[in-house]
Amino acid sequence: MIRIAAVGDIHMGPDTRGTLRPAFDTLPDCADLLLLAGDLTRHGTVEEARVVADEIRGLGVPVVAVLGNHDHHDDRQDEVTAVLRDAGAHVLEGESAVVRAGGARVGVAGTKGFGGGFVGASAGEFGEPVMKEFVRVSRRCADGLRASLEKLDREGCDARIALTHYSPVPETLAGEPLEIYPFLGSYLLAEAIDTAGADLAVHGHAHAGSEHGMTTGGVKVRNVAQPVIGRAFHVYHLPVRDRAGAGTGAATA
Amino acid sequence: MNTHDAGPAGGAPAAASPEYRIAHLQDRLASGELGELGVRVEVRGGAVLVTGTVPSAHCREEVLGTVREELTGLEVHCDIVVSETASPDHAEELS
Repeated sequence: MIRIAAVGDIHMGPDTRGTLRPAFDTLPDCADLLLLAGDLTRHGTVEEARVVADEIRGLGVPVVAVLGNHDHHDDRQDEVTAVLRDAGAHVLEGESAVVRAGGARVGVAGTKGFGGGFVGASAGEFGEPVMKEFVRVSRRCADGLRASLEKLDREGCDARIALTHYSPVPETLAGEPLEIYPFLGSYLLAEAIDTAGADLAVHGHAHAGSEHGMTTGGVKVRNVAQPVIGRAFHVYHLPVRDRAGAGTGAATA
Repeated sequence: MNTHDAGPAGGAPAAASPEYRIAHLQDRLASGELGELGVRVEVRGGAVLVTGTVPSAHCREEVLGTVREELTGLEVHCDIVVSETASPDHAEELS
């Protein structure tokens, strides 16, 4: 069993320095890794990123993060990423990381993701250049997620997790105004997850949403935005797959 | 506090309607120093309801100050809470 701690939307700045560290210091007792689902800062400044870095440096468990839209606001996302990496975090955008959890190898594929909406009410790649680019950005993020999950599968991880900021499914947005769903996530992320396969999908972004959801393909989705979970983080116990059994099934397919 | 006694027929400019003022408030909350997209502002009867979760008490005061400035003259009910930073007391078992 793998113990996964996760939180998103911590929106840190100088006025919240040190507020999460007491809870994060308990992580080695209750979790094998910490996932950060984006919006770690309020405006994406380097100063705010340093506050986050101090919060996660030397925690005693691996930290894997994606950035959110707030972390892009100041157009310093590369510097924000560098500051977090300097503190020891894996920061993913269309990439993957493999961390040890006890005897298991846990693969995390990450992307910020983007909006566009969900099946039956989604944006199309049509019309003005900015509209087409909107959809293309979302598609590029989803393509990166799918490729990263497929890479983790080839590498033979014991569990694979999809980590995004935007939501792959509408269920975890329940509580948000229906009209803004296209700005909160995209079905393209869920399609990537279901195509490549994953054991769990974790996202943030929707502060007024709900914690629990599932993709069409049956992958559990958890919205870990801090206002949703009402804690410094939540912990999920994920059973380790029987890889030998899964391999036998695949061989006969 | 309440300025609803003068409706559009009474000569109040349409641009000063609560709906537009709320929209401008949300623009200011999102794009200004606050960067606050998680606060919801809704008309409820003759008043305005402001809800959401913010990272700190300081943020809450900043949001409230901006709300008061933008919605001067309107009755505002505020229910903004500060994020909880305690460790969880249980884990979820995923089957």
